[in-house]
Amino acid sequence: MTDRKSLYLMTPALAWLTGLMVIPCLLILVLAFFRRGIYGGIEYTFTLENIWLVFDPLYAGIFVKSATIAGTSALIAVIVGYAAAYAIAAAPSRRQPMLLFFAVLPFWSNYLVRTYAWIVLLNREGLIASVVHSLGYDGELPRLLYTESAVVVGLVYNYLPFVILACYAPLSRLNPEVIEASRDLGGSGWTTFRRVTLPMTAPGIATGFVFVFVLSIGNFVTPALLGGGQFQMIGNLVYAQFLTANDWPFGAALSMFLIAIMMGLLTLQTFATERASGARKEES
Amino acid sequence: MTQTMLSLRNIKKHFGAVQAVAGIDLDILENEFFALLGASGSGKTTLLRMLAGFEMPTAGSITLDGRDITHTLPNHRPVNLMFQSYALFPHMTVAQNIAYGLEMEKLPRTEIKSRVADILEVIQLSHLATRKPDQLSGGQRQRVALARALVKRPRLLLLDEPLGALDKKLRGEMQLELKRIQHEFGITFIIVTHDQEEALVMADRIAILQDGALLQCGSPQDIYEHPQSRFAADFIGVMNFFPVRRSGDHLLANDGGRVFADLDDAVANNSDAVAAVRPERLHLDVGKGENSLTGRVSAMAYHGLDLQLHLETPLSPDSVMVRLTADAAEARPLSIGDEITVGWAARDTRVFAA
Ligand SMILES: Nc1ncnc2c1ncn2[C@@H]1O[C@H](COP(=O)(O)OP(=O)(O)OP(=O)(O)O)[C@@H](O)[C@H]1O
Ligand SMILES: [Mg+2]
Repeated sequence: MTDRKSLYLMTPALAWLTGLMVIPCLLILVLAFFRRGIYGGIEYTFTLENIWLVFDPLYAGIFVKSATIAGTSALIAVIVGYAAAYAIAAAPSRRQPMLLFFAVLPFWSNYLVRTYAWIVLLNREGLIASVVHSLGYDGELPRLLYTESAVVVGLVYNYLPFVILACYAPLSRLNPEVIEASRDLGGSGWTTFRRVTLPMTAPGIATGFVFVFVLSIGNFVTPALLGGGQFQMIGNLVYAQFLTANDWPFGAALSMFLIAIMMGLLTLQTFATERASGARKEES
Repeated sequence: MTQTMLSLRNIKKHFGAVQAVAGIDLDILENEFFALLGASGSGKTTLLRMLAGFEMPTAGSITLDGRDITHTLPNHRPVNLMFQSYALFPHMTVAQNIAYGLEMEKLPRTEIKSRVADILEVIQLSHLATRKPDQLSGGQRQRVALARALVKRPRLLLLDEPLGALDKKLRGEMQLELKRIQHEFGITFIIVTHDQEEALVMADRIAILQDGALLQCGSPQDIYEHPQSRFAADFIGVMNFFPVRRSGDHLLANDGGRVFADLDDAVANNSDAVAAVRPERLHLDVGKGENSLTGRVSAMAYHGLDLQLHLETPLSPDSVMVRLTADAAEARPLSIGDEITVGWAARDTRVFAA
C-alpha cells in the first residue's frame, strides 16, 4: 500500500485520538504546573510544587501499594488465564470457539454489575458466608469484603478474559509437531513445556500481564466498591483530587505519573513482542 | 548384519473410519538402510509416527532389541524421527536446535559443543549456526532438521522425506553423508521417500506401501527386476505395459503378434494379462531376443548417458519407451518418423494378471 493511501485510511483514527486523547493529555500536562486556587479552581502561576508532592512518602506509598495490587492481580490473572487458555487450545478444535465464548461471556455484562456481584458473594451475610454456615461452621469468618484481597479478586475476575484471549492466540498457533519434536529428542512433558511451549507463547503472557497491570493500577471503581471507602489506590486519589478535594493541578500531576508508568510498560511490551516476532518478519 | 533389530507384528492404525495402516508385518535388521516407498496417503508417515511413539497402533506390537515398545513414551525410545514438516524450534538458533537433544541426555557441555560443530560441518551450515529457523531457506531448514535427529546417534533413525527440498547436487552429497554416518555410528535407518531413484541408490531393502498395506519388500534389485504386481512395476522406474492374452506357452498381443515370456502359473491360460518390459531391455539389435516390435519414432530425448525414444506401436495406445545407450545410439543414427524394430529377451518380459 502507498504511504498516501494508508494516510487517508488512518485519518479518522488519528483525528479521534488527537481530539480526545492527545489534547486532553496535553491539557493535563500543562495543568500540573499551575497553582491551586485558594477556593479550588486554578491560579495561573508556574510551580513545581505539585510534582514534588507526588514524591511525598504518603502519596509515593499509595503508588507502591497500587503497583503491588496491580502486579499481584496481573500475576494471578496470567497464571489462571494461561492455564485456561492452555486447556481450551488442547480441546478438540470444533469445541474451542464455544469454550472461548464462555470464557469471554462475563465480559459482555456491565462492569459495575460484575463488581457488585462480588459484594453479594463476599458480604458478611453474603453467599460464601451463608454456604459456610449452612455447612455447620458457627465461628466468626475472617472479613472478606473491603480488603486488599477482595480488590485483587475483583481485578483478576474483571480482566481474566483479556488474558485468556491473549494467551490463547499463541497457544492455538503452536505446531503440535514442534512439541512432539521435543519429546522425540528426549524431553519430558515438563521440560518440553518449560523449554518449548512457554518461550513460544511468552509474547501472549507478556501482553496479558501488561494489560491487566495497566488497567488495574489506574482502576478506581473496583477499589472503591470492594476495598471500602478507606481504601485508596492511585485511581481513587486522582478521582478525589478532581471531584472532591478540588485540587485539579495535583490531580493532573498524579495522572501524569500514572500515564508515564503505563506508557513505559506498554512500550516495553511492544518492543518485547516485536523482538520475539521480528525474526519472522525479517524473512518475508 | 543379519540380526533382527525391529519387529512389527500385524500393526494396524485406524483414524475413525480411515484405515491408515492395514496390518503390517516387518522385520528390520541391525544396521540396515530401509526405504519406505508409496503414493501420497499410503500410510508412510503414520507408520513412522507409530515407531516414534506419537501414535498408538490400533492393533499389533512393535519390538525393538527384544523389548516391546508398543506403548513406550517417545522420550523413552532410542528412536528419533525427522519430521516431514521439520518441526524446528522457532525460538532457538540452528545450533540450539541441534544441541537440544544432547542437552536432554545431560551430556557434558564440551561434548555437546563439539558434536554440534561436527554435524554442522557435515550439513554445511556452520556459517549459519546463530540464525533462527525463520531466516533459513527450505533446504537449509531441512538440513537442520536432519542434523538435529542425526546428532543424537539413536539406535533407530526415522527420516520422513529427509532430502525432498534439496537440489540434485546437494541431495547427492547428503545421500553419501547419510550412508557414511550410518556406517560410522551403526545406526539403523528407515527412510520415507517419494524419489524411487533415491530409494534404489541408498537402500539395502525397499518396501512398497499401498493403502496402508505392504505390497512388496525386497532388495532394490529384486524390486526393480522382479516386481510382483503391476502397481509395484509402475511405481519403481519406468515400465512399458501392453495388454496380452495367454495362449499356452506364450502370449498374444493386441495385433495378434506373439510375445514370449518365462511364464509361470500366475496367469491362467486364455485369460487377460499385462506384459511389461523395461525401456533399457529393448535393443535395436533384434537378433538378441525372442521378441520383436516395430514402431515409429515419435519423440527423442537426449539425456547424456542415454537416448530415450518414444515408439508408436500397434501394441498399446501408450507410446513405448526405449532407452538406448550412447554407444547404440551412435551406431545407428535415428530421427523422428523413422520406422524401427526393437527386440528383447523372453526372460525380460514381466507378466501380471490384468
Ligand atoms: N490424524 C489423522 N486423522 C485422520 N486421518 C489421518 C490422520 N493422519 C493420517 N490420516 C490418514 O491416513 C492416511 C495415511 O496418511 P499418512 O500421512 O501416513 O500418508 P503418507 O504416506 O505419509 O503420505 P504423504 O506421502 O503425502 O506424506 C491418509 O489417508 C490420511 O488422510
Ligand atoms: Mg507423509
